[in-house]
Amino acid sequence: MQKSLANNSLGKKLIAPIAILLALGMPLYVRGAEYPLMLACIIQLYVVAVSGLDILFGYCGQISLGHAAFYAIGAYGSAILHNNFGLPILFTMFVAATLAALVGAVLAIPASKLVFHFLSLATVAFGEIVYQFIVHSPGGITKDFNGIFSARLSIFGFEFSTYRLWYYFGLACVIVFLTAKYFLVHSKTGRAFTAIRENSHAANGMGINVRKYKVMAFATSAFYTAFAGAMYIHLVGYVHPDTFLRKQSVLFLTMLLFGGTGSLTGPILGVISVELLIESLRVLQDYQGFVYGILLLIVIVALPGGLFGGFKNVWNLLAGRLGKRRGGAGAC
Amino acid sequence: MLTTDKVTVKFGGLTAVNQVSVHVEAHRITGLIGPNGAGKTTFFNCISGVYRPNSGSVIFEGNHIEGKKPYQVNRAGISRTYQIINLFKKMNVLENVLVGMHPRLKSGYLSDMFRTPSQRREEKAAYERAYEWLKFVDLQDHALDPAGSLSYGKQRLLEIARSLASTPKLILLDEPAAGMNSKEKEELDELLKRILELGVTVLMVEHDMKLVMGICHYLNVLSEGKLLAKGTPSEIQNNPDVIQAYLGGE
Amino acid sequence: MFLRLLISGLVLGGIYSLIALGYSLIYKASGLMSFVQGDVMTLGAYLGLTFYRILGLPFVVSLILTVLCAFAFGMLLEKGVIRVLLNKNVLPIYVVLATIAISYIIQNGVQLGWGSITQYFPSVFSKSSVKVLSVSVQPEALLCVGASLVCMVLLHFFMTRTRFGTAMRAAAMDPTAAYSCGINVSMSTGITWGLSAGLAAIAGMLIGPMYGVYALLGSMIGSKGFSGAVIGGYGNMYGAMVGGILLGLAEVFVTGYISSTYKNLIAYILLITFLFLKPTGLFNERAIQDD
Repeated sequence: MQKSLANNSLGKKLIAPIAILLALGMPLYVRGAEYPLMLACIIQLYVVAVSGLDILFGYCGQISLGHAAFYAIGAYGSAILHNNFGLPILFTMFVAATLAALVGAVLAIPASKLVFHFLSLATVAFGEIVYQFIVHSPGGITKDFNGIFSARLSIFGFEFSTYRLWYYFGLACVIVFLTAKYFLVHSKTGRAFTAIRENSHAANGMGINVRKYKVMAFATSAFYTAFAGAMYIHLVGYVHPDTFLRKQSVLFLTMLLFGGTGSLTGPILGVISVELLIESLRVLQDYQGFVYGILLLIVIVALPGGLFGGFKNVWNLLAGRLGKRRGGAGAC
Repeated sequence: MLTTDKVTVKFGGLTAVNQVSVHVEAHRITGLIGPNGAGKTTFFNCISGVYRPNSGSVIFEGNHIEGKKPYQVNRAGISRTYQIINLFKKMNVLENVLVGMHPRLKSGYLSDMFRTPSQRREEKAAYERAYEWLKFVDLQDHALDPAGSLSYGKQRLLEIARSLASTPKLILLDEPAAGMNSKEKEELDELLKRILELGVTVLMVEHDMKLVMGICHYLNVLSEGKLLAKGTPSEIQNNPDVIQAYLGGE
Repeated sequence: MFLRLLISGLVLGGIYSLIALGYSLIYKASGLMSFVQGDVMTLGAYLGLTFYRILGLPFVVSLILTVLCAFAFGMLLEKGVIRVLLNKNVLPIYVVLATIAISYIIQNGVQLGWGSITQYFPSVFSKSSVKVLSVSVQPEALLCVGASLVCMVLLHFFMTRTRFGTAMRAAAMDPTAAYSCGINVSMSTGITWGLSAGLAAIAGMLIGPMYGVYALLGSMIGSKGFSGAVIGGYGNMYGAMVGGILLGLAEVFVTGYISSTYKNLIAYILLITFLFLKPTGLFNERAIQDD
């Protein structure tokens, strides 16, 4: 009984996300499908980034319009640690992400007293400040406007030289990060996050140190997104500072809201749908941004429950009807 | 157990609570009554750390707690419910109680994230205990419902269960009977007695005079921010000042 | 040097003030943040350019037409998007995202309409420079400073001395009470958004002759404008004016006397510093709630 109350069935919860990601790996079995494979790799690292944002926004209710900054700290941090100090790549990825978590915590200490709109302004400012430091770095350590090169991923001398190989690495990262997210949100810490989102005054009254937990949520979220940034640079081998403009922060948020907040599957669905949408809009060339803006607006106005919130409603409706016809209880 | 000494709270020019000194004895139910706008909830907020009194002190088991943050007051052993229901609406009933247990759980950030064996054991025990608390207030059938979906009276019970879950020494109940029907009020009366049996001291604000006079051991009457009278229920019932305040105030 | 910097600081400050005013008016009236102000400014610059250079209308006529268009745009935005979302009771993040989506539409739309190269905005005056106390400045710079000051003064009188302004302030302060006094709150909120768009469009027309007109003209000014609004006290009209001008001066003087490397940092450092240390701004506006 307690088991069912605790809802601790991680296996079940991970089935859907992993099935989706495995389906994404279909191009693995197709010869010469380099482009779809690359997309699958990008989707994986975005899933890590957006899942991190979900911990902060979906669970803890704290907005960030500056997550591109953490993404940047991960990418540049790992590249610089590897290029300048010769440290092994997986290690540099963790160090860079930890650094970003510390930065996130330091930002959150004063920012945690701000509510929604002003927190979003503070994070916008933070994002711009980090961007300015990248393009005007002390001693040119980030190569300023030139962008920075770094090596492709290799672990213990094994080079992940193709998208095909990198895909497995990405999949492993997604599973590790989603599992950790699952553990975290279904624990004392995660309950504190959700309590703060639902009613921060009551959370405080129940003995939760609200500021401390907001700082934790920021740091965790920063770690995830920064790790994704590090994944990105060691996948592509190069980043340009303009990858880390506010647009990127907005993209993370858009993906999260498209897929739905506060779940394991939401960020995955959101990343896939938005990424595929952006890729397919490329054929429109000059009209790409314009049409993207309009579609975004339509989705926001028409389906504010997220794209999949809308789908879910339709699905539930259909499933409910089917269930009735079969004369059984609901299909799911 | 709890003593306030000349607690005063001002909002701008308005003095909401004026030099109120009360004493709450352990293992008793103490009532705090008074007409609307008498400053009862503000006084509660002073004890529970929502407001810092402009002057005066709040002493709990010999320690000054005025000016402490709500979460620190909770950890000191004072838990509360709210006049305006303050549940975590989208979390389920059981989770609400688990949040109440927060300060008593030992697991930390990393043990939560990696789900260490000790964390796992603690969580399992916590779920069991939370379920026990639901049984205590007779909400076990709603364990997995969202808190926001409960009826008003049941939400009040859940607030009580949530605050009991932190195993407080003193519980502050802010109008626990508001919005309850007469059957629920009878059950509340019985529940309050069981809370006392747990060894938890109760301080409550309540408007329902039948309930208050029947169950409280001692009463404090606030009017216009000042302590008007104190005494046993029968003393209060015959106090001319109190009668005057109620007739004049309503 | 000092005088030259002072003038360019006031030019920039005037622009920031107009943008910041839009933010503050909107926040006061509807408790929302719009991320589209900067791009409305861009749109204003393009519209002004079209009326003035392409259609050959006089500058003042172009300015009035531009402001009217922007006003209509702002009202339409409030009625067609913001109001629709608010009526659905969505989380505030969707409103923020909707304004960002609109800013993408404008940024890309103007490129489709006017091309992606920087457009030349013809000068307003025949003289290319005038002397102010031995410093020669572009007459458009003086126009910019003058016009933004005039806008602020007019806005002040509109808000305090006209029936309409009073109604708008009442609606912002307490919508329910205003409604029961017979004020059309929905209309007044719409007009606030229109007014904010109008102010941004004026900024666009004033800055066009000096900076040229391109799709991302307002993007950075728009986000720096937040800084001006926060410095003054978010939601406070006079705060936005003072904050904007201070921001312009700070930016220009730091760039002039210290270093231009971190020119774009100043606004954001000020923004974050004020949010953390003095969130109510110089005018102690209580709009920002603490948690």
